[in-house]
Amino acid sequence: MKKKLSKFIIKVLLIVLGLSFIFPLYWMLNLSFKTKSEVYVNTFGLPREWVFTNYPDVLKSYNFFVYFKNSLIYTVGNVVLTILVGSMLAYCITRMNWKYSKLAISYISIGLVIPVQVVIIPLFIMLRQLRLQNTYIGLIIPQAAFALSSCVLMLSAFFRSLPMELEEAACIDGCNIYQTFFRIMVPVIKPAIATQTVLLFMGAWNEFPLSYILVTKEAYRPLTVGLANFFLQIGVTHWGIVGAAMILTSLPTVIVYLLGSEKIENALTAGAILK
Amino acid sequence: MNKYFSTKTSIFIFAFPGLLLFTAFVIFPLIPELIISLQNHDGFASSGYVGIKNYIDVFQSSMFWKSNRNTIIIVLMSTLITLPFSFILALLLDTQTSGVRRFFKASSVFPAVLSVTVIAQMWVAIYEPQWGLLNSVLRAVGLESWTREWLTDKNTVVFAIGTAFLWQYIGFNMLLFYTGLKSIPRTYYEAALIDGAGPVKCTIKITIPLLQDVIKYLLVISVLGSMAMFAHVEVMTLGGPGGIARTIVYQLYYTAFMTSEFGKGCAYAVIFVIECLIITLIINRFVARERIEY
Amino acid sequence: MSKILRVLSVMLCIILVLSLSACGSKSKDTTSGNTDNNQQSQQTEDKKEENQNKGPVKLKLLTISSDESRQRIMDEYIKPNVGKVLPHVEIEYEGTANVADKMKVYNSSGDLPDVWYSGADFALPIINAGNQLDLEPYMKEDGYLEKFKIKDALYFRGKIYAISSGADAYFNPRIFYHKDIFASNNIEVPTTFDEFVEVCKKLVNAGIQPIATPGKGGWAPGFFLLQNMIMIEDPEVAQQIVDNKTDFANPVIKNAADRIVQLAKIGAFGQGAANLDYGPAKELFVQNKAAMYMMMTWELPDLEANVPDLDFFLWPKASDKFDPNKVVQYWGSPLAGYAVYSKSANLEDAIKLAEFCCEQDALFFESTGSLISFNTGNQMAELKPIQKKNVEHFENTTTRIATYHLNALDTKCATEHSNLGANLMTGDYSAEQFVEDFNKVWLENTWFD
Repeated sequence: MKKKLSKFIIKVLLIVLGLSFIFPLYWMLNLSFKTKSEVYVNTFGLPREWVFTNYPDVLKSYNFFVYFKNSLIYTVGNVVLTILVGSMLAYCITRMNWKYSKLAISYISIGLVIPVQVVIIPLFIMLRQLRLQNTYIGLIIPQAAFALSSCVLMLSAFFRSLPMELEEAACIDGCNIYQTFFRIMVPVIKPAIATQTVLLFMGAWNEFPLSYILVTKEAYRPLTVGLANFFLQIGVTHWGIVGAAMILTSLPTVIVYLLGSEKIENALTAGAILK
Repeated sequence: MNKYFSTKTSIFIFAFPGLLLFTAFVIFPLIPELIISLQNHDGFASSGYVGIKNYIDVFQSSMFWKSNRNTIIIVLMSTLITLPFSFILALLLDTQTSGVRRFFKASSVFPAVLSVTVIAQMWVAIYEPQWGLLNSVLRAVGLESWTREWLTDKNTVVFAIGTAFLWQYIGFNMLLFYTGLKSIPRTYYEAALIDGAGPVKCTIKITIPLLQDVIKYLLVISVLGSMAMFAHVEVMTLGGPGGIARTIVYQLYYTAFMTSEFGKGCAYAVIFVIECLIITLIINRFVARERIEY
Repeated sequence: MSKILRVLSVMLCIILVLSLSACGSKSKDTTSGNTDNNQQSQQTEDKKEENQNKGPVKLKLLTISSDESRQRIMDEYIKPNVGKVLPHVEIEYEGTANVADKMKVYNSSGDLPDVWYSGADFALPIINAGNQLDLEPYMKEDGYLEKFKIKDALYFRGKIYAISSGADAYFNPRIFYHKDIFASNNIEVPTTFDEFVEVCKKLVNAGIQPIATPGKGGWAPGFFLLQNMIMIEDPEVAQQIVDNKTDFANPVIKNAADRIVQLAKIGAFGQGAANLDYGPAKELFVQNKAAMYMMMTWELPDLEANVPDLDFFLWPKASDKFDPNKVVQYWGSPLAGYAVYSKSANLEDAIKLAEFCCEQDALFFESTGSLISFNTGNQMAELKPIQKKNVEHFENTTTRIATYHLNALDTKCATEHSNLGANLMTGDYSAEQFVEDFNKVWLENTWFD
């Protein structure tokens, strides 16, 4: 009896906490259907008067589809580049007979603590000299460089957990190193790559400081910079529109997350992550 | 066998692109910062070298120590409260039915995938003193005296921002713990139960030692993550009122960009990176039994 | 083994070369103006060549999008009309809420836009670097200067670095209030500061928030609240700050800061005022949740359209040195407006573009019923009653004091002024502390150097 009760209490606790985690979604949706004035009178309750014009208003005032396309290009480019380069480096560090592998991983991990804001001006000057400014690749490369550290660290952990027999077998079959890597190792760590893909996607989609400073043409702006324009402004009081803008901006991450969360979980449960 | 694969060319081909990318776009832009930290620079142009004056100024400014204090509070909150709490959540989750488990797992990472701006704005609305959710709930349950002006009261503001930050990542931590738990073979527990060990003993003797890797990883990630906290502070209070809620990185940003003391801001950055390196060294030294590469 | 070393050394070399090249250019950018100029003139030549080959002149325009007005000027006035005036020009637009940060990056890299919206908080270093064009000779030549009614307001140290419609120079801080709330609580409009405090107390007791004004980041105290608290005791002191003739240890300033603390302590600003954003503060007033609203008059047209019982009263005086009918603070700064890059490859067109933007700015503010210094040739629209009252009062004042925040403080000083100002609104920060903390910063102010 006592056991049942405690189980029930735990259940309630978990459900309440779980609901708090999806509360932001409710909050944004709710805002996006409210009138300008209702937000202040009735902040968290359901709209008394449902307004559907906020979405078209956002689409009008905000170059949504252009920004969306840009965000997609940056994000996909970033994920592909980071995963490719990161997995190769991680493989080299963990599986190859490289004298400097320990040094390399310590070196890469410095990237976790470097604040983007500090290096942004030299980065800007560099991109200009390389004539990469206002090109898609000109933002993908620095974003990928900053995402690389966490990617390499996590993939290294995965690679380390794999048995040596994998390569031995490949060797006996006559594969060279490149075939071994791309045909055997990469498929084996697919769950890890899926996890990284989802994490990198979220990171790249929500990335702000680099895109804000490095992209100077409106035609190349991603969604986050567009969204920031709704917040930073002085004098904008219409939270309904802000809510709609937030929903439209977050939608892709939510979808990717819902599609990918099962994969993340499987990957993590595979237990490979930190062995 | 690895020797067969590890020719110098192959090592070069595998390692070079990553190292080049990282070096060129992350490490290399640090060099000018290091140089600027020795200059009197307003963000537009330099007016000459001043030696280590910027560093002396930083150490002498009370804001440096205040922002360090705030950062330490948040780091402590994340290590002493969030990590144990998410670990307990993971343990509790294990006892539940699959329906509850699925719901909780699916929702847990949700805040972490949204942009910080969205989350921080939501918390501003929650903390709003007059119609915000928190004070409304407190009033509704008769705890009127507990209501505060959360984001302007100097006693609560850091904790209020810290809570928002930690809440965003608690579910992610929980999920990592949980998947770690799942990878521990059941037979270990069965053996322990036969020996007459209770659930608490099982946790201490079996779960925690076997989860060592997960714990270490999360420890490093949460410590460094909370050290670098910036966006929450910016969106929620602009570091204020009067700068009492600034973290080190916010103070860095404030100095480099808002008051246009770019040279001093770079000095902050150098100090910050060194602090982080020291902290990771300490974790590696004292927490890890063998050296971990996080 | 040795090959690895070789690989590593090759990498190191590449890194070194990379770093040297960028370091070199960095020091060129930052240390000596001469090499900088050479580099730039070379660039301009490059650009010129490009232009001759390509046909349309390309200009880069960086505008401010920090508020709705600025966004509308860009989207509804500049963008649709620029083709009619400058058909041969192709414009690359960039709108940002934070022009200062963008300009820092552009200035450091020597890649400035041809035209940008300059601001008092960051213009000085750009001017000192010789990058912001003195527009006066060009404006005299093409007669554009003649379109301004108040030419003095354009000059900064004898030169014209930025042009705007001049609407700024007519904006001033007012205390707006709900007539109905005052009437239903039997409140008379206060004329002295002590009466004002009593009014606030009465409203607090009636359960109504007395004042709404944005405190987040120290917006209101930074830009006008502290200045007006000084002016109501002795307007001369505010003028002395603008002229660099006093410091913040002046007892009048301490009293002024103390007035804000006093109001904060009785709860006049409402809960959480020190973190109240601009938008929510306005909405508190519009939705009758606050009885008064302290704000610049650029909000007046919108308020008059949305608040049926709107009125404003003059700042209550704290001593007889202040005559509310004769003294007023105005917003403007000669450094705020459209500025031109002095090394622009297409200087003529860039100047024309700046002049065009300024004119659009004027057309916009004219359409909202604001007074402007720029003569568009249009008939002034009929003003609504409160707007008219505001204009009449403003035109009858004899002492107009510039906003010292925009006209006497360098970037650091201005930022700290707002930052510490926000503290005053929390009520648990004393005026003495403010004076002690801020005077240190003020003494290092570089604005007047």
